[in-house]
Amino acid sequence: MPGFLRDSLTIAAKDLRSELRTKEALNASVSFSLVILLLFSFAFDPSAEQTREISGGLLWLVFAFAGALILNRSFARELPNDCLDALIASPISGAALFAGKAAANFLLLLAVEAVSLPVFGVFYNIRWWGQFWQLAGVLALGTWAMTVIGTMFSALTVNLRLRELMLPTLVYPVMIPALMSAIQLTTHLVGGEPLGGDVLVWLRLLVAFNVIFTALALSLVETVLVG
Amino acid sequence: MRERFIILFTGFAAVLLVRNLYVMLVKLPDEAAQGAIFRIIFFHVPAAWTSFLCFFAAFVCSILYLAKRNLRYDAVALATTEVGLAFAAGNLITGMIWGRIIWGIWWTWDPRLTSMLICWLLYAGYLMLRRAVEEPSQRARISAVLSIFAFVDVPIVFFSIKWWRTQHPQPVVWGGGTMDPSYWNMLFLNWVPLILLAVVLILIRLRQEEAQREIDAVRRWAHAL
Amino acid sequence: MDERNFTYMFYGFAAVWLCLAAYVVSLAAREKRLRQQLDGLRKLVEDRGEKR
Repeated sequence: MPGFLRDSLTIAAKDLRSELRTKEALNASVSFSLVILLLFSFAFDPSAEQTREISGGLLWLVFAFAGALILNRSFARELPNDCLDALIASPISGAALFAGKAAANFLLLLAVEAVSLPVFGVFYNIRWWGQFWQLAGVLALGTWAMTVIGTMFSALTVNLRLRELMLPTLVYPVMIPALMSAIQLTTHLVGGEPLGGDVLVWLRLLVAFNVIFTALALSLVETVLVG
Repeated sequence: MRERFIILFTGFAAVLLVRNLYVMLVKLPDEAAQGAIFRIIFFHVPAAWTSFLCFFAAFVCSILYLAKRNLRYDAVALATTEVGLAFAAGNLITGMIWGRIIWGIWWTWDPRLTSMLICWLLYAGYLMLRRAVEEPSQRARISAVLSIFAFVDVPIVFFSIKWWRTQHPQPVVWGGGTMDPSYWNMLFLNWVPLILLAVVLILIRLRQEEAQREIDAVRRWAHAL
Repeated sequence: MDERNFTYMFYGFAAVWLCLAAYVVSLAAREKRLRQQLDGLRKLVEDRGEKR
């Protein structure tokens, strides 16, 4: 296990370093999230009361669409210079490769969210920090669900010629349960109340989703990449 | 051998269907609250069951493919998924027609309707993915993984939407009452011909897939000649 | 209401069979394509055989 952890950390550090050098995906994702936030203001009249009721849905749609820019490229960026082949040939298991890439993506997505959440609060006049730590936990769980599915499907489609066209249609339907729970929990927390009672069922669902699909992805990624 | 099965099953399904239609339309009375439209359920529900059976078979074959790496399992997974999608489409459309009369609207975001739609989209994505990969063993590998993901996802989707809807009011599905046993019998009796038809369609699709593979092999050989 | 109820029942019945029929049509189209491929292949093999 320590070997697995070390390998994953190496991959994660490599991915983060190369992303922070160019900041290509990060910039694109952040600016895209701002564009979506702007577009939402035309879809409905942004008065504070209504917006609070649908704040979870708005936020997670922003995160899901903007996050896709980072997630989709996760494996495809290794294609030039045959880097992917080198990674697969290296003495690192497919699962460790996946875990490392997922960890890097997770941090990048959280960074994007850290920028777009305050902007959302300003644009739509929402005081979202009432339950700051619980909200942070929910963001982390929901983001991890998006990351696992997104990274896995990025690996799945890495060699396909129609990758960019295919990914959105494949990824979003699979994510639906996780997005739904994240939306419910976020709406609740932005309303200022702590988690408890009926809402806990969503927390359980989100955790279960994460556990199931993380296990599934870790066990299947080797067959996807290597064969 | 397989030809004979196909003809036999089709004939049997046809006879059963004619008999069921007769009983359904002539013998069974209209349902008290819903009237004639109620009879749609005899196709609506068995179609859903058949499609789930197909998707389950596709799930099992996908696992078997990953374990044994025999392309035959991949062909079965493909055939069952396609047939399952056809039945799922029938289920969705009959559901909409029923809803138009009973609820007055074509579509409600009812948990069953919504999860069936998501299920349909997932497996349509599976077929789309298959078209994008040329190399047979890579295609089999990738689509098997997707099939497993989709099958694991469907129950989670169903329960989550159910919880989602319990917090929002929704139109009442017939008052939670029990169905008359004669209706239940009809439901199961009509399931039999639908399953037979599904098997026939799967067999035909399977034969095509095998022919395709053979043709590809011969073509490679002919070009090498 | 009752008449509409009845017609919609038939729409429903027709819809199931239309879905299956659409699938059968797609199967037939694929069958035809296979046959064409086979014919093309046969011609190819015969041509090569004659050249020898």
